[in-house]
Formats: sequence, structure tokens, C-alpha cells
Amino acid sequence: MTTAVDRVGRPVRRTTSRAVPYAFLAPAIVLFTVFLLLPIGYAAYLSFRRVQVKGLGLGPGSRIEVFAGLANYRAALGDGELWRGALRVLGYGAILLPTMLGLALLFALLLDLHRSRLRRFSRISIFLPYAVPSVIASLLWGFLYLPAVSPGQYLLRAAGFSEIDLMTSRTIYVALVNIAVWGGVGFNMLVIYTALRAIPHELYESARLDGCSEFQVAWRIKIPLVMPALILTTVFSAIATLQVFSEPTTLRPLTNSLSTTWTPLMKVYRDAFVRNDLYSAAATTMVLAVFTLIVSLGFLRLVQSRAFGQENQ
Amino acid sequence: MTTTAAAPPIEETRPEITRSRPQGIAVLPTLVLLLGALYCLFPVAWVVIASTKSPGELFRTFTFAPGVSIFDNVVDLSTYQGGIYWRWTVNTALYAGVGGLASAFLSGITGYAFAKFRFPGRAFLFNVLLAGVLVPSIILAIPQYLLLAKMGLTNTYWAVLLPSIVSPYGMYLARIYAAAAIPDSLIEAARTDGASEWRIFTAVALPVMRPGLVTVFLFQFVAIWNNFLLPFIMLSDDRKFPVTVGLYTLLNRGNTVPALYTLVITGSLLSIIPLVALFLTLQRYWRIDLVSGAVRA
Amino acid sequence: MRRGFKRFTTTATVLLAGAVLVAGCSSGDGGGNNPNQKVELTFWTWVPNIDKVVEKWNATHPNIHVTASNQAQGDELVTKLLTAAKAGNPPDLAQVEYQALPTLVSNDVLADIKNETTAAKADFADGVWATVTLGTDAVYAVPQDVGPMMLYYRQDEFTRLGLTVPKTWDEFAAAAATVRTKSPKQFLTTFSSADPGWFVGLVQQAGGSWWGVNGDTWKVSVNDAATKKVADYWGKLVADGVVDDQPMYTPEWNKALNDGTLIAWPSAVWGPGVLAGNAADTKGKWAMAPLPQWSASENKTGSWGGSTTGVTKGSKNKAAAAQFAVWLNTDPEATAGLVREGGIYPASKAAQAGPALQKAPDFFSNQADFYVVAKGIADTAAGFTFGPNVNVTYSAYKDSFAKAIAEKTAFAGAVEAMQTATVSDMQAKGFKLG
Repeated sequence: MTTAVDRVGRPVRRTTSRAVPYAFLAPAIVLFTVFLLLPIGYAAYLSFRRVQVKGLGLGPGSRIEVFAGLANYRAALGDGELWRGALRVLGYGAILLPTMLGLALLFALLLDLHRSRLRRFSRISIFLPYAVPSVIASLLWGFLYLPAVSPGQYLLRAAGFSEIDLMTSRTIYVALVNIAVWGGVGFNMLVIYTALRAIPHELYESARLDGCSEFQVAWRIKIPLVMPALILTTVFSAIATLQVFSEPTTLRPLTNSLSTTWTPLMKVYRDAFVRNDLYSAAATTMVLAVFTLIVSLGFLRLVQSRAFGQENQ
Repeated sequence: MTTTAAAPPIEETRPEITRSRPQGIAVLPTLVLLLGALYCLFPVAWVVIASTKSPGELFRTFTFAPGVSIFDNVVDLSTYQGGIYWRWTVNTALYAGVGGLASAFLSGITGYAFAKFRFPGRAFLFNVLLAGVLVPSIILAIPQYLLLAKMGLTNTYWAVLLPSIVSPYGMYLARIYAAAAIPDSLIEAARTDGASEWRIFTAVALPVMRPGLVTVFLFQFVAIWNNFLLPFIMLSDDRKFPVTVGLYTLLNRGNTVPALYTLVITGSLLSIIPLVALFLTLQRYWRIDLVSGAVRA
Repeated sequence: MRRGFKRFTTTATVLLAGAVLVAGCSSGDGGGNNPNQKVELTFWTWVPNIDKVVEKWNATHPNIHVTASNQAQGDELVTKLLTAAKAGNPPDLAQVEYQALPTLVSNDVLADIKNETTAAKADFADGVWATVTLGTDAVYAVPQDVGPMMLYYRQDEFTRLGLTVPKTWDEFAAAAATVRTKSPKQFLTTFSSADPGWFVGLVQQAGGSWWGVNGDTWKVSVNDAATKKVADYWGKLVADGVVDDQPMYTPEWNKALNDGTLIAWPSAVWGPGVLAGNAADTKGKWAMAPLPQWSASENKTGSWGGSTTGVTKGSKNKAAAAQFAVWLNTDPEATAGLVREGGIYPASKAAQAGPALQKAPDFFSNQADFYVVAKGIADTAAGFTFGPNVNVTYSAYKDSFAKAIAEKTAFAGAVEAMQTATVSDMQAKGFKLG
């Protein structure tokens, strides 16, 4: 290690204490432990417990909490509905992820083009869905999807075509993906766009001077340079997709094609908040979390070097 | 990462670069962006139009036919239960503003630590923090309530603020931005000058990370603004509700009571406006001036 | 540098800890144990505008101050109650629907208020009182409102299509078929897979009984003959296409009520409020009649909805809370306020004949004797025993009937699925099933 000198030329000892990074991390770790680790731990503890009823089950002391071993996990893993839900989510994700991330990347690249017009208008318009409160989602999509009130269906009828039922058991995927793309493309676009803006412009100028088209600049230079941001959004979008809950819950009151357990997380919600059975919910969540962890770890291992290529490893 | 010595600031060279670019409008990209914008605006247009209808018109007239009752609806909303909607709005601004700022700062300091320091346990700690996203908030809500009840904090503003500050996603974002935007040379230079680590963070790292942290702030602000489950579980005093929970109680009043559809739609429209204003205000932070001209590999 | 850090972290920790302490001190409800001090009661309810009724109590009872808070309804409030009770800070009073009482009693959330309610018992019908005692000696809540079911229909559309008001379910089916033949764009009504309470009311009318108690054994019979009869009846109507299959309370359903796509609605006594809210422009066009019967000589109905006021076990002022609960649901001024401000139909017999219900609701100004007929119908409401896991059965209803409609299978299968779900849930929890 070379000795550093200060402006006057005196040697300066590096006094960066080893505790510095830990001190910086302390607030996050404390808050994380209290508000994430402890509740997760409690949920994990609950997943090994269950309710045992004595007698008729009415009256004081008739419900006690007992150790259940792996009973909740066996019930969760043996539940056909959970596996069917997982399959549905995988199908849903297979349609959603390429669509949403592809559009986010496309819009971000187009926004970064100096010659595009209406950039500010487009930027805020594409972000706006993120700002619409989810409380009116059922109302909103009810008005846009249900045939009697939908303007799209009205136009189809007026043009002489028959209505398209967007909420049959097959087409419901399209209806759901549409809601998710509409709501999510804005933020993902922003993340990629911010990363694009961090790239110094000289990098493209030489390519442009060499005669590369904008498309080649985008394909050869921009996309590889924003790869960390792309991977970031892909991983988090994938995790969010595995945990999809709000879009099917939004559409469920409007149609007969969705059950209350259509996705695994809906089953968790139903167990925890409708059946007031926190124990089964906890076990299902642990199973779901492990599955999500495996998927994301696998993906991250694949792209580890690309994700953090800009740090000294 | 290779670094070069500090290059002259880019501002002087920018005008030349701009002059050499073709000045025409790129039609296709503009068109595609416009289509995307219209696709995203379509449902928002419904919210605007629906909030101009009177309650009787909402389910009677064509979905995109505007009404003339926007003023009446806003008045109805403002006078409902003594103006509680505006109290909800103030609450939401508090939760989202304070929570977003705290979260952005926390993400900044955490991302900086992970990106710019080597220390034992770095990878492990980061992975543990990230693993927080694996467990969805639905299962955490009730345990968090029970925990805060032990601390005596349920039904307070803290109950909604404290759990919202930790954002694994924000920390990941901040780490990436810190790694990309802050050159090690800058930090070394500051250290050599004798600055404290804290001063390095606030004077050197934070300004450079600002655009990334603005994104984190905006993300967390909107996430808290739209968050429903946490305040729903934690709060039992309807004067402390954020707008999401408040409007929910107007909409979901059971089968036996009519829902206040128009109030809810008007309330939703009004709550989009501050978010749009915030977004417009924060836009200028996304113009990035790099501090040094170092080339990133 | 190191000192700077330490100073920073110490200050931050002290600030955070201090903030936590301050918040903790200021958030707790100061429950006065001093009998001379004012008693503060919290009341979780979703009746609209109930604060106006509560004000009357507060004005006349300076020593007992009640604060009502509207934060959730129905099942969601049950979840919040259970969580709060588990954490040790439940409210003093809560509005609880009839079907949720066994769940809450089973979780030891509600207190026995028999001592404070001996006088009030006479003001309620026996069937209604049985739902708050759960067949035991204890009294777990005071009935607040009831929802006897009746039929609402568009008088103008019926006249236009030449229909008479159906008195039996066979006539109802025939009317449904006539509507489709004469006017293919209209339906008589819809079968909703999203409203288990509606279905339970119809099952009650048919004499069904899903849960029964024998000693300390439960008997579960969601698939009894009466339920199957109701399910098969509606299944045939849906399969024949003579009734619609869309869920209620959606924008499309609201529009259908407005533009006459649906011209009848088997609903309950609180229907006028919902119709006024969702289809305001059809005011004066609707009329009310008793539900169609299964045989011409019968005169029975079921109940859809209805709630009670309960006192929680965790309350520190149970006697005062019970006093309020009784006042709210039996005092003539209080019940009149509940009717006028909250739009509910009171369970108290005196209130049902009271001044607030002398005039027909605004939306039914064309039917002056609306509440007279309603009271007659209310007296024919059949009783029902709810089990300790109603929520399991209700969510099974939503899933299995939605599936049956989507896949066009027989509704009897949906009923069997509900039975299986209910039984297996009770077995898993250790209930003895006979």
C-alpha cells in the first residue's frame, strides 16, 4: 500500500476504520431485523403450529395452539390447487415478463433518443398508471372489460363484430397481463431510462461518427451498458410475478373464471384473512418463498458477473 | 473498473456535439411513444370522465360520455363526514413524504456501503437484505401488527411509517447507481484530503447518486402512497387513514349499503394530481451531470 | 472521523429510541380505572352516519363517552377484531354479522353480556335471539338489524311483458322463460356466484340447515336435501339460459338494473338503499313482494345479512359497553336514528313498528305500505344455526359455484364441494363431527 500525501505533502495515515461500512449499514440492519426478520421468523414459527379445538369449540379455552410438526407443509404441498395456481402463474409470467420488460426497454430507448418529440409528455403519460390508486381497480377494469359498459366492446358492436369476452378461462390471461403491463411498464421504463442517462454521451458519439445507425447504437452499446438495470428489473419483476395477487383479485368479483385461490398468494391471503388460519398461510408462504428463492438465485448466478460488472469484485 | 484521471468537464464539449447531430424529428420513435402514452392514458381518461358524472349518471350513460358534475362531486367529497377526505390526503402525504425521504436516505447510505466498501460478510448481508422481497407483505402484515402491539405502537403514525422505510428494492437500486456513478478515485481523493467518511458520503457520494436516489424516492413514495394492507391492518382510527384505506371504506360498505362510487372515483382522481405534480418536479433530477469524465468499462 | 461516526450513530439511536418511547406513551388509550372519571369506549362499526346516533348517547351520558370508527366491514372487520384481540387491544364494542358470531365466540373474543340484557330479550323475535345466544345460556351480542328476504321487481317491465308477480318458484321459472322469449335482451334476474349470503337466505327459506349441535358433536349438512333442491333449481335456470349468470355488485350489474336488462332482484329489506344508490333513475318503477314460495300454501322467507352489537372480552368497561349496546338497539330514539341515518331495518320489534318506519322508503314512494308488508315478511323468517367456520363455507361457495358456472357443470357438485371443504376444515381443527 503506497503512502498517501495530503496537499501540503505530509504523509497521511489511512484511518478509515473497519467499522465504517458496518456503521453505515446499521440503520438498515436494525430496521430490517425488527420489521422483516422478526415477523418472518414469527410466521415461520406459526407454520409449525395449528389450532386444536376442545369439545364444541365455543366458549373460553376451547381453542388452543399446538405443535403441528410438518402437517401444514404436507397439506400445502399436497394441495392440488396450489400446484395448479403455480402453473397458472408460470403461464402468466411467461406472457407478462417479455411483454412488459420489452416495452419498458423500448420506451426507455426511444425516450433517450434526442430526436424523439413529445418525450416529456410520453414519459409522464407512461408513468401515470403507476399513480392510479388500486382501490378503484375493480371499478376501473370492470368498466373497461365488462361488455355492457366497455367502450371497446361498444366499438366492436358498432362496427358489426361480435363482442370479445375478455374474461373466459382462456382469455383471462390476456386481461390480467394487460392490467399488469399497463400498471408496471412505467416504473420499469424509468429505471432503465435513468440508467441510460448515466451513460456518458461520448461513448455513442464515436460510434455515430463511424456511421452507425441509432438502432445499432442501441443494440451494440446502450443495451449492454444498461444490462445491470435490465437484470435488476427482470429479477424483481419475476419475483413480483411469482407473487401476483392484486390483478386477479381485482378481476375476481367481475367474473366466474377466477377462483379465490387462482394464484398461490391469493391462497395465502384467503387463508390468512378470510379463513383466519394464519398457520396454513404461513406454511404456504414458506413453500412459495423457497421456490422463489431457488428461481431467483438460479437466475442471478447466471448473470452475476453482468449484474455487478461495474464493481471491483 | 478502469479509471482515468479526471477529464475536463463535459459541459464545454457538449455544444459541439449537439451541433453535429441531425436536427430532424424521428417520426417512428415519436409515434411509438405516442401510442404507448395513449395506451397508458386510456384508463386514466376513464377516471377523469367518470368523476364528472353524477351518481345517477355513472351507470346509466355511455362510459366515455362526460358529465358536468365534477364540481358537485368535489364538494360532496369535501363535505363527507366533515372533510375527512382532506385529512386522509394530509395523512398520505405524511406517510409517503416522510417515509419516502427516509427510505431514499436509508437506501442511499446502504447502497453506498455495499458498493464502495469491502468487508467481511458483505455478500451475505446483501443477500439477506434482498431476501426480504421473497416474503410478501400479505403474510407479514399480521405478525408486524402483533409485534407493534407489543411495542404499543399500533394505531399510530409510526405503525405505518416504520415498516415502510426498509426497501430491499431501493437498496439494490442504490447499490447499482452508487457503483456506476461514483468513481473510486473521487473517494480516495477525499480521503487523502482528510475528510471523514460521513463527510465523504454527504459531500461526494450523495450528490452524485442523486438521480438514482430520486428514482428510489419516487418509487417508495408511490409505493407508500398506494399501500393498502399495512395501514389497513395497523390503523383503527379512521382519522389516521391514508387515502387508499379511506376510499376503500367508502367503496366496500357491504352488500346492504350502497357504495359511494362517485366519491371514490373523484377521490382517486384528486389523489393522482399530487403524484403528477411530484413527478414533474422531480424530472429535473434526471438530467445527469457526471462529475468526472471517467470511462466506464 | 471515528468519533464523528460514533456521535452520529449514538445520536440516531437515541433519537429513534426516544421517538419510539414518546409515540408509545402517547398512543395508548388512557383507560381510567377511577370510577369518577369518564369512561371511554371504542366502537368499531360500519353503519353509515352512525356518529350522529352516537352523539345522542354522548349528549345524554356524560360519564360514558363512545367513539365510533368506521374502518372495515363484515369479514374484514372480523379479521381485524381477531388480530386485535390476539394482540390484547381490541375495541370495547364491535358490529358483528350473525354468521360471524360463532367464529368470534370460538376465538374467545366476545364477552357474555347476559346480565345486562335480560330486559332487552323481550324486544326481539325468538329466532333472532337464538342467533346471539348460540343455543347456550350466554348472550354474546345484542341484535342490531335483520335482513329478511323479499322480491323486488320492475312493475313497469312486468306490465309491458304481461307478467304476473310469481307466487311460487315454479311460476318464477316460467316467468323467467317468458322474459327470454319475449325480449331476448332482458333477463328476469341473475344467479350470482359471488354472494353466499344471498344463497344462504334462499336455503333458509327452503328449510335447509347446514350446521347442527348434538352435545359436543357438530353435524355438518351443507349438502342436505333443501340445499340441493335450491341449487338444482337455480342450476336448471342457468343451464337453460333463462336467468343470467353474472355476479352482482359489478358495474355491469348496476347498469343492468338501470337499463332494464335485469327486471327482478330477490333481495332483502335493505334493498331500497342499494337500488337508490346504483339505479337512482329507476325510482318509483320498482315494487316489492314476498319471495316466491316452494309450495302455494307456504309463507316463509330467509335472511340475507344483518348484524349485532357485541362487547369484547378484552374491554375494560364491559358493563358500560353492554349498556350502550342495549341502548343502541332498543332505545326508540337510537333505533329511529339507525333507520334514518344508517338505512338499516332494526331487529327490535318495537322499532319495526316505530315511527321511523311508518312511511315507505323514498325509492318506493309508489308502495305506501312497504314497511307493513316488510314486517309481515320479517315475522316469517326462518332461523339458522351458523357453524364455527362459516368463512370456509362461504369462500368455498364462491369458488365452487363460479367453477360450476364457468364449466357448465351441475350445481349439486358445487354443493358437495362446499360440504367437503367445510367438513375437512373442521376435522383438521379437531372438531368432533357426528
